[in-house]
Amino acid sequence: MLGGGRITNLNWLELFPDRIKSMLLELPPEYLGRVEEVRIREGRPLEVNESGGHRFVTGQGLLTMEKDKAYRPGRDDCRRILDLISNHSLYTLEEELRKGFITVPGGHRIGLAGRTVLSNGRVEHIRDISGFNVRIAREVQGAANDILPFLYDEKERRMKHTLILSPPQHGKTTLLRDLTRQISSGSLGSSPVKHAGMKVGVIDERSEIAGSLHGVPSFDVGPRTDVMDACPKAEGMMMMLRSMSPDVLIVDEIGREEDAEAVTEALHAGISVIASAHGSGPEELHSRPAMQKLMDNRMFEMYVLLQRSSGRTTFRLMDRQLRVLQLRVKGETHHA
Amino acid sequence: MLKLIGAVLILLSGTLAGFHQASRFAARPRQIRELILAMQRLETEISYGFTPLPEAFRKMSDQLGEPLKHIFKSAAGHMASGGGITAQESIQRSLHENWKRTAMKTPERDILHQLSFTLGTSDRQDQIKHIALAAQQLKHEEVVARDEQAKYEKISRSLGLLIGALIVILIF
Repeated sequence: MLGGGRITNLNWLELFPDRIKSMLLELPPEYLGRVEEVRIREGRPLEVNESGGHRFVTGQGLLTMEKDKAYRPGRDDCRRILDLISNHSLYTLEEELRKGFITVPGGHRIGLAGRTVLSNGRVEHIRDISGFNVRIAREVQGAANDILPFLYDEKERRMKHTLILSPPQHGKTTLLRDLTRQISSGSLGSSPVKHAGMKVGVIDERSEIAGSLHGVPSFDVGPRTDVMDACPKAEGMMMMLRSMSPDVLIVDEIGREEDAEAVTEALHAGISVIASAHGSGPEELHSRPAMQKLMDNRMFEMYVLLQRSSGRTTFRLMDRQLRVLQLRVKGETHHA
Repeated sequence: MLKLIGAVLILLSGTLAGFHQASRFAARPRQIRELILAMQRLETEISYGFTPLPEAFRKMSDQLGEPLKHIFKSAAGHMASGGGITAQESIQRSLHENWKRTAMKTPERDILHQLSFTLGTSDRQDQIKHIALAAQQLKHEEVVARDEQAKYEKISRSLGLLIGALIVILIF
């Protein structure tokens, strides 16, 4: 079970212009604490998402399912949001606009949609931005508590090569972030065993794990963690291998051929890799050529499958041969 | 005796008013020149430094003299205040608050006002174009201001004294 940890970072409301901010502040506080996404689309209803589903927000700050009653952000609202999230300086975000999202203080990510400008067939820029998806980053310290003890190899005193699998929005990044923090600071979650803390290298291509701003992590990622921010995963892994001598490499959402090669390289160098990938299960993963090779070679010692239903995240563990592990935790038997 | 003192006072204030007017004619082209240099600095900050607008404005204000300093300083202050104010509003508010302290006239103000709509809202190339355009327009105003200075600076100085004298004559 994930969650139950400390949730920090409620500063995301500052991203919105006064009018929308006051509507959001009218929402019930406990709902506001659970909100995961706020979606703004010019001329269409203001939407908030939490794990239970979506709701629209009226001009008075009430939740509704009827789209006709919802507040519709106008051109002025969108212009203001863009101005605020870019620190009044859109020209400083050329790289971000090419990628389609902005990371703001607090580690929150704002996805953008609009009209793209092409140059040599590649997206150069987004203009006429009319859609914003504010993904609220939550630091749930303790999210990895129950999983972490299974990932530690006590005999060899290292972390096992692990692949975390889940569909989007099921808490992969939150889990990776807490794993990073705990491994780096030497705790093993709910297990009483302690170690000295390991050197952790994080390749944070989308600035989600550490939420870095100007190269400095916004989240607590532990004392012995190095973050390679906004770096392509494969290249970042190789750079870390060569220069930062990590004990553990943490990387989000691997899937391409070169990612698989870099993971193999790291494993051969004796470095533990904890990676995540999109997918509901190993079968689905197996259908992707790059991942298939990794699985067939039994590169990962542990698979973690995340599942979220009615706001709670549960997990299952599988070993190298994809056998589901039966685990005994706190006196009760369950599929961990 | 009292009349004489009054006459001297009128002459003196007329002369002072004339000198003040003359100094405004002299200060306007100088301030416009300073503003043009500030625009060029802003262009450099944006194109090479990728400096965010609030910081760029603060840097500019550090290098500028009074009274232009205040325009950029208070605009940067408004932007950083975190009250959900856009760059455009910050600049316009600052212009409103500080413009009276300068010797510049409405055309220059309009140029900055126009620039405030685009500053910070587009990519670098576009920003540079707009700033260059503003600088170009300011240069045009500078020429006009210099013409006016040449024409009216001396005249207004003597005009002050003359008007003072006229009033004295009329009173006597």
